[in-house]
Amino acid sequence: MSVIIDKDTRLIVQGITGREGEFHTEQMLEYGTKVVAGVTPGKGGQTVLGVPVFDTVREAKEATDANATVLFVPARFTKAGVYEAIDADIPTIITIAEHVPVHYMMECYHLAKMKGVRLFGPNSFGIISPGKSKAGFMAHKIFEPGKVGILSRSATNCYETVFMMSNEGIGQSTCIGVGGDMIPGSTFVDLLEDFEKDPETEAIVIIGEIGGSEEELAAKYIEKNITKPVIALIAGKNAPKGKSMGHAGAIVSADGTGSAENKEKVLKKAGCHIAESTVHIVDILKDILL
Amino acid sequence: MKLLEYKAKELFEKYDIPTMKGVVLDSKEGVAAKIDEADLEYPVVVKAQVQVGGRGKAGGIQFADDGKQAQEIVEKLLFSDLKGLKVNKLLTVEKASPEKEWYLSIMLDRLTKCPLIIFSALGGVDIEEVAKTDPDKIMKVPINPMLGIQDYIIRYLLLKAQIDMAHFVEMKEILKQLYKMFMEYGCMLAEINPLALDANGKIIALDGKVDIDDSAIYRLPDIAEFEKTLPVEALEKEASDFNFLYIEIEKDGDVAVMSNGSGMLMSCIDLISKKGMKVGAALDLGGGATADRIKEAVRIVLSCEKIDKLFISIFGGITRCDEVAKGVKLALQEQKENKTVIVRLEGTNKQEGVEVIDSIDGGVVAVDSIPQGVEALDLRRYD
Repeated sequence: MSVIIDKDTRLIVQGITGREGEFHTEQMLEYGTKVVAGVTPGKGGQTVLGVPVFDTVREAKEATDANATVLFVPARFTKAGVYEAIDADIPTIITIAEHVPVHYMMECYHLAKMKGVRLFGPNSFGIISPGKSKAGFMAHKIFEPGKVGILSRSATNCYETVFMMSNEGIGQSTCIGVGGDMIPGSTFVDLLEDFEKDPETEAIVIIGEIGGSEEELAAKYIEKNITKPVIALIAGKNAPKGKSMGHAGAIVSADGTGSAENKEKVLKKAGCHIAESTVHIVDILKDILL
Repeated sequence: MKLLEYKAKELFEKYDIPTMKGVVLDSKEGVAAKIDEADLEYPVVVKAQVQVGGRGKAGGIQFADDGKQAQEIVEKLLFSDLKGLKVNKLLTVEKASPEKEWYLSIMLDRLTKCPLIIFSALGGVDIEEVAKTDPDKIMKVPINPMLGIQDYIIRYLLLKAQIDMAHFVEMKEILKQLYKMFMEYGCMLAEINPLALDANGKIIALDGKVDIDDSAIYRLPDIAEFEKTLPVEALEKEASDFNFLYIEIEKDGDVAVMSNGSGMLMSCIDLISKKGMKVGAALDLGGGATADRIKEAVRIVLSCEKIDKLFISIFGGITRCDEVAKGVKLALQEQKENKTVIVRLEGTNKQEGVEVIDSIDGGVVAVDSIPQGVEALDLRRYD
């Protein structure tokens, strides 16, 4: 078992004929991911790295029985790609692109909820279940199979943590990039239950940051529903107010909503271990697991 | 991106939301004639177009009873300095005489992930103050984007605010149009304050704030055009020309941080601040920067006068460490400022990168982790 994706996941790559799409398809195949189809309108009938390409997601699904898709398409085409995948009844949709207009993601979010589809990203590295499968562009070499589930708004903070964990012999069950944008398809709250139920996961790491209220919602949920240890890091304590810190979602409003202090306070109250830094996450994990 | 009031007013007009008749002035010649030509009736209000709080108190809003007075105000106010910002445009509108002042806005709410209507019968004044003293006088209603504005929403707002149902049709029209604008222009916020009820029972938008999602501007040519007229900080502009994001952190900070991701940038800033040092600037390289671009990034940051130490932390996935190292080398060869650069490389092509860093002749310190980098900064804090 693992969360969201595993070795049996049958993945479509939307935008497989693009530069990034092709490069990362190769990486994913090398890692053992079952990439069963690619989709690029107008390129149906070709093959990329031995993977058949279709014009539409529906054809790809009919021909290959795919059950997940990852979108390597530019920000402005992400909404159309997500709509198409939802309409073709693909149950798991992962988006990567940075700078997707937030209104587009709002619409995708509500449509996905309505149809019961699991949507991830945008502005995310994707999802990896180490040793089994990956859907996204993360540098997979640093990941090791293990017992820690990770949910991260930031790719670099997640890499940093995973790199040190793996060096210390602490592997990961599944790592999910929830993404750095304002309206992610899935947030911490939507995913905590999956990790709680996953028998392979023994501890959960949440890498959050300033902005929004997702960590606060997660705290409420954890207090009531999560029995496994949760370690949380909130990045951006010293970021200036009212300025977006590169991630569109990492912004503290003028009234103080989204501040690191409040997030840490409520997470602590919910029983989480608060990490001061990525190094500290690993120290806490060593205490708990080893 | 926040629009100036005149641009917000233009959008309101485009969507048939009633506003006061007005004219934008950007030169001092023939003010009275321009006001006549725009068919305005006196008295008029002259408003400085700058994005700063307390504009009225600073003298940025003035009243004129005739053309002569308007001319005098324009001569003084236009191109003057208001709280550190240059006034390049004045919006001149007919003075309204509101009977009542309400507040209406739609914001993109991250909690409900919906457009959220905020409405209050206590508008015009400081709405944040009302939120503190009279929170139940502020109505908040999320709009399901799959449903849009429905009649019951208007009914709820008016009933709760104890406003006469006689205004139902007009309010519905304004809210529908504001919502349409909000969606079509990718707004983060579309605010009307005050939304005034005049003596004839007509509802008018007297002042507005519009904030547009930066990621939506590519599909809004009129907003892209407007953006070009706004002043940009020199370093931010230079960085954005190379597709980097430059963020000023603390005014008196002397440390700069550079990374290939904003999460790591924030982590580094947190650790450096915790040690009691001050970060003055941060630069996000994004993914995949090549040596020639890295060189520019280093040059831009070091050219900032207040900065005397730069910490570069890279976790290379798409970004290659050897490219980063080569870029640092090129920048340091041309550096005139004699500032220290601390480099931490991890990930793709780390070994090749470290070798390049080792070959640099002075001005650079190689470290092997973020904590080591912070320590290296700390050792040099009084240099």
